[in-house]
Amino acid sequence: MPGVSPDAVPADRIHALDHLRALAMLAGVLFHAALAYSPLLAPVWPPADRQTWWGVDALIWLPHLVRMPLFFLIAGYFTASLLERRGMGGLARQRARRILLPFLVAWPLVDGSLALATEWAASAVTQSSPMLRLIRDWLALPDPPGLPPRTGHLWFLYYLLLFGVVLWAVRALGWGGGLARLMARGPQAVAGLLPLVLWPGFMATGSPHPAPESLLPEAWALAVFGPFYALGLGLHGRLDWLTPLRPWLKPAAALCLGLYAVLLDHWTTDATVARTAWATALLEALIAAWGTLLALALGLRWLARPSPLLRYLSASAYWTYLVHLPLLFALQYPMMDLGWPWPLKFATAVSATTALCLLSYELLVRRTPLQRFVG
Amino acid sequence: MNLNRPVIRLLILKDWQLFEKQLAAYVLAGLGALTLLGLARPWAFYLGSLALIVVVVAAACFAISNSLLVERKEQTLAFVMSLPVSPLDFTISKLLGNLLTFGVPFCVLLLGTLVVILSTPLPDGLVILATLLFGHILLAYSVSLAVAMQVESEGWNTFAMIGSMVLVNPFLMALGQIESIQGPIRQDAIAWSLPAALILGAQLLVSVVVLVHTAWWHGRKAAFY
Repeated sequence: MPGVSPDAVPADRIHALDHLRALAMLAGVLFHAALAYSPLLAPVWPPADRQTWWGVDALIWLPHLVRMPLFFLIAGYFTASLLERRGMGGLARQRARRILLPFLVAWPLVDGSLALATEWAASAVTQSSPMLRLIRDWLALPDPPGLPPRTGHLWFLYYLLLFGVVLWAVRALGWGGGLARLMARGPQAVAGLLPLVLWPGFMATGSPHPAPESLLPEAWALAVFGPFYALGLGLHGRLDWLTPLRPWLKPAAALCLGLYAVLLDHWTTDATVARTAWATALLEALIAAWGTLLALALGLRWLARPSPLLRYLSASAYWTYLVHLPLLFALQYPMMDLGWPWPLKFATAVSATTALCLLSYELLVRRTPLQRFVG
Repeated sequence: MNLNRPVIRLLILKDWQLFEKQLAAYVLAGLGALTLLGLARPWAFYLGSLALIVVVVAAACFAISNSLLVERKEQTLAFVMSLPVSPLDFTISKLLGNLLTFGVPFCVLLLGTLVVILSTPLPDGLVILATLLFGHILLAYSVSLAVAMQVESEGWNTFAMIGSMVLVNPFLMALGQIESIQGPIRQDAIAWSLPAALILGAQLLVSVVVLVHTAWWHGRKAAFY
């Protein structure tokens, strides 16, 4: 994932954040691959398989509620690092090179390849998902209406750009002191306040929250991911700020699991289209806030030692992020008609996608000029 | 034509730094307006559209007022005259500085408006109306900028700014009377009719001519006064 780049990391590299990023990216590949077997997403996910298992939903949504906030938090942290070393002009140039340009180049390629694979699947796959059937009917129309442009899974880059603009505006207006004052209240106060800040954002969207793929800024996404980006900015240079939370790690983990059990109970298969009830939104806000802080604290504690493997995965994370979904769809569509048990399909899709991502990173990015942009 | 590029760059940078705070507020307001539009509710759409127009008009007026009229009042020119710059250098820096400080929010909001139209159920034909509307604001801005650079009277400058911007209303009404423009904007395809293309072309051409003429007129001057 972007937001962290080799040139964004200071000499005294914080391995834990690199490693967290690598694991969060791997969790992303697992998440997207598992959606094909999720009963909750079966009506709307194009490569949804005919075999589903409730346990998939139980396993994937908790990490997902934590994964994206964690990415934004890490991105905010390294943005602050870049800002300190290069100033706003240098940060803007770096963001243009590492986020805007890759976004503009990758967007049509990723969108086109996903559309191509889905159109092929709509006509070729016999064991279609409900969404593929819908697409097939839509394609069969004599003059199918065009779909509005959307960012797809590259929405993360789009929001990083938006948050970059907001950061510049907030600094220009001299409002940066608010974050420092908030951080000065200590981690317990921030941990207590964070869910309340996130709550309205989760209430304003469906549950589980969709990807904010619209080209218009989506208020709920700004409200949910913005605070984590800001927290990352505030944490820069003082990760020990989290130390007072250590005694709370075990109770927080237990609480998150308990809250997640209640959240799973709240969800029904048609919940994705309904407005979130306040209680469900509160559960999501609590899990996202405390789960992310917990993941960060655990990462800083257990992932601080250098690891060549995780370092490599971290370096390839941005490229993996860009290409994994088209590869995954291209692999999962043909598998929909196979009679294999779903765990085998899942394992094949994950291992093949990861292998292809890493192979293409090795061949196309690692030792080429692309390294400066997406390495 | 020998231009003192480093000083021009510094003068533009000075205008940018002086205007950065307001520009940041306009960009934030513009993002807020676009977020309102993204809510996809009728009230949010009307509020967001109105906010977008207010922001872009305010940005246009503020850029001119801040960098030319206020500076004139505060007699900044006397200081600039002490620098190694010619009247042409100063004119170019003012023109480019203004185009930059106005151009950033203008482009962001134009792009945002087009995204709104293309990514919502609104008919795509509205792209034509929106482009002509932004074309009018660009023209009004160029005329106001030219007047501000050539005329010292605060009254005339205020009249030029407010008058040209307020003309957006009769301009929209006039567009509503042209069937070849009014018809396509209700359709889901972007079909530029000849009158629409001619109006847009005229807006862009007049904007450029006005700005080039202003630069040329000032460039001929041997002294600041």
